[in-house]
Order: sequence, then structure tokens, then C-alpha cells
Amino acid sequence: MDKKYGVYICTGCGIGDTLDMEALTGIPEEEGVNCTTHPFLCSKEGVELIQKDIDEGKVNTMVIGACSRRVNFDVFNFSGCIIERVNLREGVVWPHSRETYPALTEDQKDDGEHFDQIQMQAEDYIKMGMIRVEKVNLPKPYHTQSFSKKVLVIGSGVTGMSAALDVAKAGYEVTIVEKEASIGGYAAKLRNQTPVQLPFETLQAPVADALIQEVEGNTNIDVRTNSLVARIAGQPGEFTVTIKKPGEKSPFDVPFPLPPEELVDENGKELDPEAAHEKYLKYNEGREDILSLDPDGELYGAVILAAGWRPDVLKGDAYAHLAVDNPNVITNDEFEMIAAKGKILRPSDGKPAKNVIFIQSAGKDEDDSDFEYTGAVTSMVALKQARYVREDYADGKAYIIYQHMKTPGLQEYFYKAMQQDDGIFMTKGAVTDVTPMSTELMVTAQHTLLGESLALKADLVVVASGMIPATKDNPVINLAYRQGPGFRDNDIFGQYADSNYICFPYETQRTGIYAAGAVRRAMTIEESMEDATGAALKAIQCIESANRGMSVHPRSGDLTYPEFFFQRCTQCKRCTVECPFGALDDDAKGTPKANPTRCRRCGTCMGACPERIISFADYTIDSIGSQVKAISVPSEDDYDEPPLRFLALVCENDAYPAFDMVGMNRVDYSPDVRIIPVRCLGSVNTIWIKDALAQGIDGVILIGCKHGDDYQCHFVKGSELAEVRVKKIGDALASLALEEERVAFVEVAIDEYDKLPQIVNDFVEEVDALGPNPFKGF
Amino acid sequence: MSANYIPQPDLEFIAEIRGLGGETLKKCYQCATCSVACPIAPEGSPFPRKEMIAASWGLKDKLISNGDIWLCHNCGDCTDMCPRGAAPGDVLAAVRSAAITEYATPKSLAKAVNDPSKLPYLLGIPAAWFALLAIITMGFGGTMEKIFHFLFGDAFGGRLHWSHAHEGAEQVIAHANFVSTWFVDMTFVPLAIFATVVFFLALKRFIVDIHDNAVLEGKTDKTSLDYKALLMSIKNIIPMVMKHDKFTQCGSNKERATPHMMVLFAFIGLFIVTAVCGIMLYVGNYAGPYPQLNPIKWLANIAGVALVIGSGLMIKSRLTNKEQITTYKDWFILGIVFALGVSGMLAEMTRLAEIAWLSYFFYWIHLIAIFNLFAFLPYSKLAHIVYRTVAMGYADYANRK
Repeated sequence: MDKKYGVYICTGCGIGDTLDMEALTGIPEEEGVNCTTHPFLCSKEGVELIQKDIDEGKVNTMVIGACSRRVNFDVFNFSGCIIERVNLREGVVWPHSRETYPALTEDQKDDGEHFDQIQMQAEDYIKMGMIRVEKVNLPKPYHTQSFSKKVLVIGSGVTGMSAALDVAKAGYEVTIVEKEASIGGYAAKLRNQTPVQLPFETLQAPVADALIQEVEGNTNIDVRTNSLVARIAGQPGEFTVTIKKPGEKSPFDVPFPLPPEELVDENGKELDPEAAHEKYLKYNEGREDILSLDPDGELYGAVILAAGWRPDVLKGDAYAHLAVDNPNVITNDEFEMIAAKGKILRPSDGKPAKNVIFIQSAGKDEDDSDFEYTGAVTSMVALKQARYVREDYADGKAYIIYQHMKTPGLQEYFYKAMQQDDGIFMTKGAVTDVTPMSTELMVTAQHTLLGESLALKADLVVVASGMIPATKDNPVINLAYRQGPGFRDNDIFGQYADSNYICFPYETQRTGIYAAGAVRRAMTIEESMEDATGAALKAIQCIESANRGMSVHPRSGDLTYPEFFFQRCTQCKRCTVECPFGALDDDAKGTPKANPTRCRRCGTCMGACPERIISFADYTIDSIGSQVKAISVPSEDDYDEPPLRFLALVCENDAYPAFDMVGMNRVDYSPDVRIIPVRCLGSVNTIWIKDALAQGIDGVILIGCKHGDDYQCHFVKGSELAEVRVKKIGDALASLALEEERVAFVEVAIDEYDKLPQIVNDFVEEVDALGPNPFKGF
Repeated sequence: MSANYIPQPDLEFIAEIRGLGGETLKKCYQCATCSVACPIAPEGSPFPRKEMIAASWGLKDKLISNGDIWLCHNCGDCTDMCPRGAAPGDVLAAVRSAAITEYATPKSLAKAVNDPSKLPYLLGIPAAWFALLAIITMGFGGTMEKIFHFLFGDAFGGRLHWSHAHEGAEQVIAHANFVSTWFVDMTFVPLAIFATVVFFLALKRFIVDIHDNAVLEGKTDKTSLDYKALLMSIKNIIPMVMKHDKFTQCGSNKERATPHMMVLFAFIGLFIVTAVCGIMLYVGNYAGPYPQLNPIKWLANIAGVALVIGSGLMIKSRLTNKEQITTYKDWFILGIVFALGVSGMLAEMTRLAEIAWLSYFFYWIHLIAIFNLFAFLPYSKLAHIVYRTVAMGYADYANRK
């Protein structure tokens, strides 16, 4: 592309009133680039003005100095053009007023003493914008060699069946893989289920049967019972899937990565890539490496993981006080199986169980939490099963002792309806003991609604055991990925398959794999079916995006992808290891293999690469590095007391919008700071920080999302990695005789914009106390 | 830690409470808004939250013998504020009704009083009885005079006569000419004694029960029961009952206080009138009807009017208040009281209008109403006059605050 540059500056919204426009337009003009101003650039006339230049072939690469890129993105959208939005409004004139920073008088200009901080900031931003458009390119979409639009659904319970039907009805082919001999899952074994429709008041026959019929009658759905996924290789759009029978051994069973302790030799030294690969192949003997594709494998575009759950087995000391070994103390799952067969009978003697106590929490008096992996489901199951007792026996009595009665949404109607049953009795309370008597069981509870301590006699006791997600026991998805076959970090989600169920439901840490149903959290049938629809839509979105060469999530529609300059690769594997999404696989030598449709375009690999060989079309080490270099650093040659300069590398997901909010609220912060938005702090390569300090910038602050177990990072690991990297450059700084305090790392949430000015000003003050960067003026 | 309480849910009791107007008892989810809303619940262990869970669990033992159910005046504040529509006020009213039946002997009679299908008998038996007495009085006065003379002769100095009619009674409309005063008193005195005995038997159990319950639930600092002190406490609270102090603390049904007070004072007035008339008749040998200028007649008329207006207002409020549940037990007692007042007033008015047959008819109705009131006092809702007073006295005695 033959770049034709142009700069457009809007003088509306206070920009023209605050800034010296003549000086500002002089910057591009000095470079021989045409600069146009307009009092209302986002108006029809303003946009037409730019469009006219484009149509006349005068410009295809432009800098628009106006409002934040987070607004009017639809207005300043010129296809086929490289566009850089310079944030003069929210970033310069709104947070900094002329009351605080008066304009220079004619005498003060160029007196070597006075300077205009706001004008300097605006001019820097224009320069930084201009250099960026010079360095970046228009992206060309990536296309896989082969492509499949088929969806693979793992699991045939209500979630799997619902997801398959949703996908099939949208016109896509689906394959369901089920390890059992028949489809339907747990829901097919129930006597009844909790209501899934208004008025949510009565038990209903399980929906599983109708779903099974519908699935079997749908020509778009291919059902494989008695089948397992041996491995899923490749990437979205071209996943190569090996399906096998349970228990069968296959060369395409997924290999496991070497455990960390195997990666070192007997002296504790790290193995070189080839030796490590050798050891890995031996470790996985009989299994092909992840990069060898199964020639008989089937191609799929995306995967829905609906592997569901298994009933928890309650054993051991933690439950000894509940007499779990007694035959008449059973789990809700065992109770359901008895109920499905007929009347509720006691396992010990087959006599009618007319008095049944349902225990919802195990923690005696010390802990009021419910059994593990229960969510809100066991509350509703207890209500349902209490109703079974009443259905079977007119004089039956069902007691529910709970610490929490969880009936979300309209299920409250179900609770109310069950409450109306004369023979269902409920109380909050801490069950302290279950004691077997001659024929009955005595349950004691404390802190109940009926008094401090009560004892109830029962024929049968039912404990509310939870729903263990399939991903707790094994990876299930068996991905042939270098990082391993399962999801990483499932421990912070209690082994549920998830990446962030608040911000991004269905999304796992592996692009193209969408989890739904009880594998994500304990869900009722109603919730699972709704969840299945969400995952089905995500799978379709993934396929269609991959087919267009676009990123799916969270940078939906991004056409860039990581490109490697392999000649300089040192096979250090850092990119492969640090990618939060396992998008990169490396070969026997350790050379990374990019799988662009797995990629989320966060740039964590770019931040990790010590050789700086990874880049995106419009986001490179050089493009940001050049922006940093474009920041003017005044020295004592320019002014008696030159202003300090600060670089803020700001995550565009939460921190950058927060800065915009600071501007919208007209809150002042140091105008000596230059903000560069980055895709994710994980993409920050430390070379930018080093270069900034080397050119005399006094301090660098990285502002990103919160990390930890309750992380808010859109790319899971980005801010966490950035903090580690920042800590590591402390040594490098010391060797330059620079203080560590000149580089700071801060986390903010998007709603903490009110804290940002203070954070920035505190940092400026702290660095100010250290004195100016000694490299200034070199 | 107190001993474990072993709940014994009673499905029949739940059904009974539902039938007595406590249909909403299972709706409670124990938020305790009611206990906070109640203006008269004591601070320590307040009601009706705990009564509501006991009701929804069918724990008869915790409710029937619970003195707190009688402290409730059915203000309706709890019912108004209940977020689940569990109407604690109505549930407690139903529980009280069940408690009245529970403590009454014989149970069969108590059940009959609360059973609409038995109403024809409750009205028919006294109707027939007084009709018989009227026939005897009117048709066989001479025979009765002879029997009377034969039995008593000239005892009491010859002051006793069969007829209590005035001199020249033939010209005066006197209800004694319709049903002999002897017959009336021979019916009602034993009936009053019967009611008293029933109450006495009930209270013997009731007091012990509410005390045991209070001790068990930690609602009192007393360990043993001192009847003398309890009696003093009951005396102490009488002024409070008279002034309707508890009623006026209510929010929602505040306006109920006035009619209730009218009815209560009307009954007290009528009791005084009856007592004075009795003494006048049997000691002073002064028979009715009294002239309108007699102060006792004033009191009687005022009380009669108060009774009609008071009970009329209650009926009106029950008819218009859709929030509060009104069941058969409520209509029964309101109907009897209203009929009693109206028939009394009409009997007097028709007497003054000198329409003898009509006056006698109303008197007959009046007698039937009195019979129902007296005979069924321990079984009807009106028994609260005894239970509530005793329970409030006990609360005072037990330092329930």
C-alpha cells in the first residue's frame, strides 16, 4: 500500500479554544503532510471532507485529532484506510483547563523559562499519531488451509442435546459424542424434574425424552454413542478430531506435557529443547506427538463441551457425623434412583419411607456452606424430592434442614408451591448429628427457626451431594496442544470449565471450545438448556469469524494475527509457554507454530518475546517504540527548569476507558504524562520501557486490569505477566544507575476512574522527588 | 443448651387451622417482619414469627398451650406488612379458635359450635325449649300456680308467687306473661353455672399449660406458679382491658377499638341491669317491666343501644375489610350478639307500642340469642373474654416484656 498521509484536527468541543491551533497544524505541515482543521469534524460536512480527500486519492493513511477513539468510531470509519485517532478531547483539553494551565503570553513564548504543558501534550500526541500510521499496515485476513463448519458436541445430556439442536436448527451439521450406550444423560433417569416453564409450580416429566426424539429425528445431527474424544488437534475452523471407543487404545490418544520436574536433568539444569522433546516422546510412548495429525480424523469448526457432571460421593471423616455409611442415609442422587423405580422405600428393609429428612449443609455448627458443587441446584432438588414423599404417601412427611434455600429467578414460585404442601416442613439449621436408632434415624440440628436445638426422627435421611464437573476428573476435551490437553487454572474456578463466568460466559481459556451446562457450574435443567443456546451461538460465531479471518473474542472482528520473523527465533519457547490461550505449539526444535484462529490477539507473545520477532499488522514493537521515541523530552538546553516526562502504557480494555471518564468528568491530572493504549499489559515488551528511560523519560507507569483469582484481565494472564516482567527489569535499571521506582505497575478496575488522577499524580510526585532522569539530553 | 425439642408435626392440625381461617399458614418464610411490625409483641421472644413456623409445621403443642397467641389482639399490622401474604393475624385467630375448642369440655359441643351445619340445632333447641315454656306460662298459669303453692306453701313469709306480674297484669304487656321469670331463671342460672364450670375446668389446664410453655421457651422468670399472685396480676390488668390500651396501639385496625369497647361496656351494663333486676325481683319483690324513668331502665337502654351499634359496626367492618379473613366462627358470634341487642330493643319498643304478640315474638328471639350466648360462651370466639384476660394477667405475672 502506497501510503498517502493526511492529518485532520477538529477544533470543536473546546479543542480550538484551548490549544494553539496554528502551532499544532504546523507539526504535520513541517513534515510536508497536509493538515485540515474543521470546527465540527464528526458532522456530516466534516466526514464528507475526509471522504472527499479519500475519494480523490489524496489520502489513505490519516491521523484524526479529535475525540477519543472510543467514541464516534462508527463515524470515522473509512474502509481501506489506516486511521489513527489522537485523543485531543478526553485526553488533553477536557482534563486540563486553561484556568489551571494559563496560555503563554507573547512575552513568555520562547523565553527559555515558560512552557505550555497542555500544548506540549497535544503536540506530542499528534507526533505520536503520525509516527504510528507510518509504522503500521492494513491487516490481511488469515485463512486456514482447510475449513469445516461442523460443530462437535461432547456429551448428550440436556445441555448437549439442546446445544446440538440449536446449532442444527441454525443450519450447521453437528456430531454428538456420548461415552454411554445411549443419549439423554442424567435427565433421562429422573422420576420428575423441577419446572422449566411458567407457572413454575409443579413437577414435570423430564424433558429428556422429547429432546432425545428430536435429536434422533434431526438429519443435521450425527449421534455417536459409546464414543470418546481421543484428541482434538489443530485450531478453530480446522480441528482434527479423533473419536474412539471407551477403553480403546489409540496412537492418537492425547499426549501429556512433561511435568515440570522432568524438564531438568539430574544436575537441575534445564534440558535443551531437543532433549526435552525426546523425553516427552518417551513419556508419551505409543501416542503421536500433538503436531502429527490423524489422517482418519474428522474435521470440525468448533467444539461445545457439555460433558456435564457426576454425583458426588460423600465419604470419610468430614461426613462421619451424618452417618453416611448407614444404608438409610443416602445421597439425593441415590434417592432419585429409588424414586424413579417406584415408591420411596428404605434401602435397609424395603419398607415405606414416610418420614424423610433432607440435609442441605454438612458443616455442623462451624461452617454454614452447603455441600461442595451444589450451587442452587440441590435446594430445588430437595424441594422436588420432598414432593415425591408426599406424592407417594398421604401421611408422608418431608423435612428440609437448610443453611441456604436457593431458588433463583422464577424458581421462587416453585419454592412457594412446595411450601404450600402441608407435609413439607422446612427450617434453617445446622445439622450436628445423625444417629441410627433401632429402626429409625435421629437427626439433631441447632440454631433452627423452631428453637436452639431440635431432634427429628426419620425413616430415611437424604444428603444433598453436589454435582462434580466432568473437568475435575480429567481434561475431557483432550486437546493436542503443547500446553496440555485440558484447561489451565481450573483450580481457581473450582475445577469448573470456565475462563470468567461473569464477564465472558461460555468462553473457556481455549478459543473454539465453548462450555455449557453443569461443566460450568451446578445448573438445573432449565438453566442448562439456556446455557446450551449461549454456547451454540458462540460456536457459530467462532466458525463464522474464523472463516472470515477475524478474531472471535474479545477483540471481535480483529483481522490481525501474530506474525513471526522466524530467522531470529531462538526457540526459547516463552511465547508458547506464556500464551494464556495455548494458541502456540512448538515443534521438536522449539520453534513456535502459530495457530491464528486459536489466537485472541492480545499480544502476550509479543510482550514475551526477548528477540522482538512477533508483531501484528497494526501493532508492532516498532510502532509503539516509535511512538515512545516521538515523545519530546525537554532538557535543560530547552528550559531552565524543564518539565518532567512520563509514559503511561495503558490497557485499552478497562484502564483507557477509565482515563476517558476522567476526561469527561474534567478531572485534572499531570499533563506531563503521555498515554499510549496497549492491547493488554501482557503485550508490553520491556524494550519500550528501557527505550523510554534511555531517551530521558523520567518515569513509566503501566496501568492494567486486576489480576489474581478474581482477575478482570480480558486476556486472563496479561496484567499478571506484565507485573512479573516489570519486576524483572528492576535489575536492568540498577545497572543503568536508575531507580526502580521510575517504573510502576498499577491495577485499576473500569469503575475506579475516580482513583486514576491520584494514582498518576502520586507517581509523578514520587519520581519528581527522585529528580530528573540523568539520561535527559543524551 | 436446653434439651432437644422433638417436633411432632400434625397434618390434621394444619388442616384444622386452614379450615378456621388460617389458610395462609404455609406461606410464611420466616423473615420476622411480623414480629417487628407487631406493636404489642414483647421485646423478648416476640410473636408471631415463632408461632408462624410452629403453625406451618403443625406443632399443636407449641401453639395451643402458648399464652402469646392470646396477647395478640388481631390488629392486622403484621398481615398488612407480611411480604408473602401469610397473614399472621388471621393464622393466630384460627389458632385461638382451635385452642378454645381444645380446652372446652365436652369437645363434641365445642365442635358443634364451630360447625355451620349444626347451627339449626343450636338455634332450634332453645327455640323449642322457650316455645314450650311459653306455652306452659300462657296456657297453664293456673296449674303452675297450684304446683308452686304445693311445693313452697307459705315459705318465705308468703312472698313467693308463681306469677311475677304486677297488680292488674292482665292489662300490662309483661314478658313474664309470655315466659315466666321462674322459667327464664331456671334456664339461665344453671346455664351460667355450667359455663362457669366449663371455664373453670379449662382454666385449670390452660394456666398450667401456658406457664409450662413460658418456662420451656424462656418467656418468664418465674419457675413455679403462684395462683394468688396470678390473680393479683389479672386484677392489675383489668383497667388496661377496660381502656383498650392494647387495641389503640394497633395501626391497621385501630378503628376496631371503639365498637369493641361499646360491646364490652354494653355487656357490663347489661350484667349490672340483670343483677339489679334479679335482686329487686327476688329480694324486693319488685317485678318488671320498669317504667322508663327508672335509672336502671336508662342504663339498660343505653347498654342495649351500645350493643346494637357496637356489634353493627363490627359486622360492617368485617363486611368491608377484604384484607382480614372472616370465618364462620366470627359471623356466628357477631350474629348472636347483634341479634341479642336488636331483639332486646325491639321487644322493648313493641311492648311500649303495645303490640303484645310482636313483643313476645321478639322476646322469644331474644331468649334464643341469650341462650346461645350463655351456653356456648366457653366454645365460641367470645371465650376470648376469659382466655385473653387470663393470658394477659399471666404475662403481667410472668414479667413478659
